[in-house]
Amino acid sequence: MSFYEHVFITRPDLTEAQVKTMTEDFTKILKKGGGKIAKEEYWGLRSLAYQIKKNKKAHYVMFNIDSEHAAVAEMERNQRLDDNVLRIMTIRVDELEEGPSAIMKSKSSGDYDDRRPRKFDNKRDDRGPRRDDRGPKRDDKAPADKGEDK
Amino acid sequence: MSDEFKKKPFFRRRKSCPFSGKDAIKIDYKDVRTLSRFISERGKIVPARITSVSNKKQRELAKAIKRARTLALLPFVQN
Repeated sequence: MSFYEHVFITRPDLTEAQVKTMTEDFTKILKKGGGKIAKEEYWGLRSLAYQIKKNKKAHYVMFNIDSEHAAVAEMERNQRLDDNVLRIMTIRVDELEEGPSAIMKSKSSGDYDDRRPRKFDNKRDDRGPRRDDRGPKRDDKAPADKGEDK
Repeated sequence: MSDEFKKKPFFRRRKSCPFSGKDAIKIDYKDVRTLSRFISERGKIVPARITSVSNKKQRELAKAIKRARTLALLPFVQN
């Protein structure tokens, strides 16, 4: 049996209870095909980094699955038919992650949407803010290195 | 190595890849906080030349960032 990590995203106007019933339906389909859910996580109603179908927030649910591919494919098929599910991602992994995932850990430690805390990394102190319109680096014009390594 | 590193008196060389070696951080597409250290302010993936990530880990990192982008955990473009 193969290990998969599966994340799906639903529309924000569902209540948490509705998301729960949806999750149970999907797990039922998976179990019918002979799969096992090793871990199930609800990441909550998160803000999206960009709008998906005009939604700015969404419910995130993650499964760790131990199953044959046919059961996973059947579950995905049902998810795609559901209008409330916005996005699905299934990844095959070599081993399942034990314990709470990184998202749950960062939620419990209480920093929400902590995406770019520093404007200037210490890498760029003497260069000023990064300008993406600078063009290609002038590596080809530099004289030969005197063997200085990285 | 590029000339910029030679000319500047302030040596900014990071010694080693932050993902290799003992007790290294695992690259995980769900770990938004770690991944966001390796994207620029515009949301672009920072080259390994600057972050001194090893070649193999940079490829894994890029893959993880792209997965996080499809899940809307990280933006494609940030303003």
